Amino acid sequence: MTHRRTAPPFLAAFGFVLTALTAVVGRGEDVVDPPLGAALYQEHCASCHGEQGEGVADAYADPLIGDRSLEELSRYIDEKMPQGEPEVLDAEQSALIAEHIHEAFYSPTAQFRNKPARIELSRLTVRQYRQALADLIASFVGPGDWGDDRGLRAEYHASRNPRGRRNSVIQRIDPQVRFDFGEATPDAELIPSNEEYSARWTGSVIAPDDGEYEFVVETENGMRLFVNNPDVPLIDASVKSGDGREFQAVLPLLGGRAYYLQLELIKSKPEKTASMTLKWKRPGHALETIPQRSLWPQTPPERLVIATPFPPDDRSVGYERGTMISREWDEATTHAALEAADWIATRRLRLADTREDAEDRNAKLRAFALRFVERAFRRPLEEPLHATFVDRHFDEAPDEETAIKRVVLLALKSPRFLYRELGHADNDPWSVASRLSFALWDSLPDGPLLEAAARDELRTAEQVRAQADRMVQDHRAQAKFHEFCRQWLRIDHFGDLAKDESAHPGFTPELRSDLRTSLELGLDAVYGSEASDFRELLTGTALFLNGRLAAYYGVDLPEDADFQRVEIPNEPRRGVMSHPYLLSGFAYHGSSSPIHRGVFLSRSLLGRTLKQPPVAVAPLAPDLHADLTTRERVILQTSPDMCQSCHTMINGLGFSLENFDAVGRYREVEKSQPIDASGEYFSRTGDLVRFSDVRELAEFLAGSEDATEAFVRQMFHFQVKQAIRAYGESALPDLQRSFVADGFHIRRLMASIAAEAALRPGTAASADPAQARLEP
Amino acid sequence: MSRFRSRRDFLRDLGMSAAALPFVCNLPSLGFAGTGLRKQRMVVVFSPNGIIPKNFWPDEEGAEFTLKEILTPLQEFQDRTLVLKGVCDKVRGDGDNHMRGMGCLLTGIELFPGNIQGGSDTPAGWASGLSIDQEIRAYLQNSPETRTRFGSLEFGVVVPDRADTWTRMVYAGPNKPIAPIDDPYQMFNKLYGQMKDQESLRSVLDAIRDDLRRVEPLVSAEDRQLLEEHATFVRQMEEELRTDATPDVGHAVPELEPGLREENDNIPKLCKMQIDLMVNSFTADFARLATLQITNSVGEPKMRWIGIEEGHHTLSHEPDSNDEAVDKLTRINKWYCEQVAYLVKRLAETPEPGGPGSLLDNTLVVWTNELGQGNSHTLNNIPFVLVGNGLDFTMGRSLHLPMVAHNRLLMSFAHGFGHRIDRFGNPDFCKRGPLSELI
Repeated sequence: MTHRRTAPPFLAAFGFVLTALTAVVGRGEDVVDPPLGAALYQEHCASCHGEQGEGVADAYADPLIGDRSLEELSRYIDEKMPQGEPEVLDAEQSALIAEHIHEAFYSPTAQFRNKPARIELSRLTVRQYRQALADLIASFVGPGDWGDDRGLRAEYHASRNPRGRRNSVIQRIDPQVRFDFGEATPDAELIPSNEEYSARWTGSVIAPDDGEYEFVVETENGMRLFVNNPDVPLIDASVKSGDGREFQAVLPLLGGRAYYLQLELIKSKPEKTASMTLKWKRPGHALETIPQRSLWPQTPPERLVIATPFPPDDRSVGYERGTMISREWDEATTHAALEAADWIATRRLRLADTREDAEDRNAKLRAFALRFVERAFRRPLEEPLHATFVDRHFDEAPDEETAIKRVVLLALKSPRFLYRELGHADNDPWSVASRLSFALWDSLPDGPLLEAAARDELRTAEQVRAQADRMVQDHRAQAKFHEFCRQWLRIDHFGDLAKDESAHPGFTPELRSDLRTSLELGLDAVYGSEASDFRELLTGTALFLNGRLAAYYGVDLPEDADFQRVEIPNEPRRGVMSHPYLLSGFAYHGSSSPIHRGVFLSRSLLGRTLKQPPVAVAPLAPDLHADLTTRERVILQTSPDMCQSCHTMINGLGFSLENFDAVGRYREVEKSQPIDASGEYFSRTGDLVRFSDVRELAEFLAGSEDATEAFVRQMFHFQVKQAIRAYGESALPDLQRSFVADGFHIRRLMASIAAEAALRPGTAASADPAQARLEP
Repeated sequence: MSRFRSRRDFLRDLGMSAAALPFVCNLPSLGFAGTGLRKQRMVVVFSPNGIIPKNFWPDEEGAEFTLKEILTPLQEFQDRTLVLKGVCDKVRGDGDNHMRGMGCLLTGIELFPGNIQGGSDTPAGWASGLSIDQEIRAYLQNSPETRTRFGSLEFGVVVPDRADTWTRMVYAGPNKPIAPIDDPYQMFNKLYGQMKDQESLRSVLDAIRDDLRRVEPLVSAEDRQLLEEHATFVRQMEEELRTDATPDVGHAVPELEPGLREENDNIPKLCKMQIDLMVNSFTADFARLATLQITNSVGEPKMRWIGIEEGHHTLSHEPDSNDEAVDKLTRINKWYCEQVAYLVKRLAETPEPGGPGSLLDNTLVVWTNELGQGNSHTLNNIPFVLVGNGLDFTMGRSLHLPMVAHNRLLMSFAHGFGHRIDRFGNPDFCKRGPLSELI
């Protein structure tokens, strides 16, 4: 059971070095005398410069800040200070004072450190840019949502023409496309002749994540594949030529959306047999037949997915944010704007809902252009700006196509599109709407939200909350949760997870890909469930397994079983931290890694700050210590004092997962010794917790304030992309409280965060925003 | 299949910024001025369904010959014309004669077995090798002196919107047909799109700058730094655009009649537009090779503009005894010849940029067809009419060759560019090498 007692840091167990621990717990209960420099400053300087160098009105009013080097500063103080009597301080004392003020408030880094957090002007992140453009187009042609039915609509024809109406003899829903008709036909009665026939599968493919998708079609027959663009095939092999039977193409897609898909099979006389398999390689996954859960039998309209590469966003603070710009970013926005302008200009008639020969074509195109600009800017465009952003281009460009291109170019290069919180002090309904949608979807407000803004119904907390509750049900919120998990669980750092073949045979790329799917399905299941309970992520006892995984992890399932929720018997497996995908990720080639696992538990799940290792250390090679268990080896390696300040925590947590090897399989013995999976943790409040294995770790985490706070804080930063401190001292504790009160409901937390950030203005802008907002 | 790549990807790969997009490759090749190499070019013009032999082939052999009715539009250029009778497409294998006529015309190699069923014979797929223009293109692009922005340009006129063996003549490799661009506006964008982008960028630049200024009061003093930084990027873009403000295009950008649909009755206009774009692209040295595919093998243009209501392919099946059909087919082929003559005329009138003479002095135009004759579907006596002085053949002649394989003629084209290959396509048809008779 869990042992809780209040333990002063100097009573750490196992005789670990004590002073080091304070550095981790880190809340600076230092009782050392103030350093000499500070004392000297107080004595000789503070009366004129203020306690913290902030200045004293009647003496020296300016704050003591600057960029002199420490040496310069020392010399200056020695020669000039205190004013009028520099002889009071000798060179050594001056140097001590200089050192103190340089570190405490004078230097640029000190100034930065002391600055209060504020809501910073931010551009759209790369994900937000792409999502926003896709939704901007979707607002004209229809949304990207999908329903619960799965599979593809299939039509089989007793002729070579898969689009012909007359010979369509079978209509049905196929769960996926994986057929080997051999020398027979899809149906002996309805298609009696195997000489010539055809089939067409129509519907959409649901992309779970952002990234490049490789589509692969395997057939010995003629075929065409359309993805997203219904007019131009992604792969056209309708002319069968030679022996090639595998065709592939790559397409960038955005997660949380369904894309038009159509696949045609053409069986001709010269081919004896027919078969067809539709596969894909999702980002981070191995090639697989596109599963039923990723297919939907309805067809959505074409989406705009910007392919222009952008420089990656700054993630130095742990989450992506847009507070910096660069020349490369600016150029990427130009390329992307040109790409979008081409795309839109080509489809202008459809988007503007008009025809080449319509009398009101020009008027319709202008109306479309205006709506485009307004939706890009997330607010109405005031009359005087219509000329600048829309009409001028129609009047000056040589033709309508060019006019539309210029409108798009200008709108997408405008700071009103590119920056998220221009005039963020302002709680006007349009700003609130925009904050909500970016926090939940990384994208623009949708129709209902814009309507609410237009009716001025985003004033009260209740109104905003109601919108947030509605929006969190959208697939785009789930896609954002997906992206959050990738960062929270460090999945992007894992690489290909290949393991030592001799120690772990059968840990193939396909199996690893399945493991990732298994983790994603598990996360989605918790997120989407009625309770949406965060604690379930930490204590859940079930895994999603298919036949292949089941065989590898010793569970009884049919070989070809699809993914299903399976309770793991006889194994102490709890929560995401014991999911084999993470366990393999936080492990070495041939052995587990309590250190990686401990760092993950400390940082991601408990939100603790760890310093960089003081020295670069190569892990001790297992074969140099052949008789030591992993646990013993890690203790040996991290025994020096300088390691202990962090490794007391890291090891104490990481050891609790020692029941799982480098591929996340359960074990009770290592090197003929029984596994010791006991661990411990000192919470921020000073409680020492002990756990005998992952079961008690899970129980602890689920009730731990550290873990709850860590989750809320990370979720806030991921959603809002601003420092939570900038929203006031009480923002984090308030959200944490409501999260607990809501039964740790993840979706409600996301809605709360979005609502909280939407109505909380940061530091005020200088001008009256209402006036400056849209003045021409 | 490879991933779709836009022209912007391409430029980005070259390390060019958006604003500097423009005219990197349209300056005269560096090698031209330095080495005195002349810019050799070749154009292949295709028209379908065979010809009427008695109104096409000159009776005489040698330098003294009379152009028959179909070839009369070339009269003005007779001394720069080489008519080659006796060249045969000897490639056999899968596919009907239209398919092989088309797919093997420039490749000289068999079609892969496949699922495209013609009128008779076995079905077939794509050609199993690249076409001669692409072979020469690769040779020229391989060397900095002869490299151009596109290497080759594939023009088409009303090519049906379906990919099959009858609609593809140019191949980048086995199973890699290249679709001709039959939309002049699309071709224009390929050639000049960057310039239009630049113009558009330039036209919105002031507004972007004003807009940045206008939103500044919306943000706090601390945040203003970010917008100021942004403004410097806009100024940099402005600088780049100004530097490129008056680029030396080397020629006036052609003006296209707007909104012309790709349909039968617009064929004459579309054809002229494509030829004008081609000549312009040579002036800018965008490419050294071009093809112009008028419709397709088995093409059915209805030439109402010369008073013929029936489709060309349907007419081409009429027997030689049908005088009316023969007359119409003669007029149809004469119309094709007029298009060739227009191209030749444009080339002759356009001075060679940076060099002496005209474009025609350095360009060989090859007019050809997938069949010798429509009603017999023969692959013997494939029409090859060569005009211009691009490849140093001895022009102003009519030759009767001893039924030579057309692979040897394809090799001659390569040799004419200094690319001395000893085989092209099926090696069985390459014995005795390029045609010495042409020199």
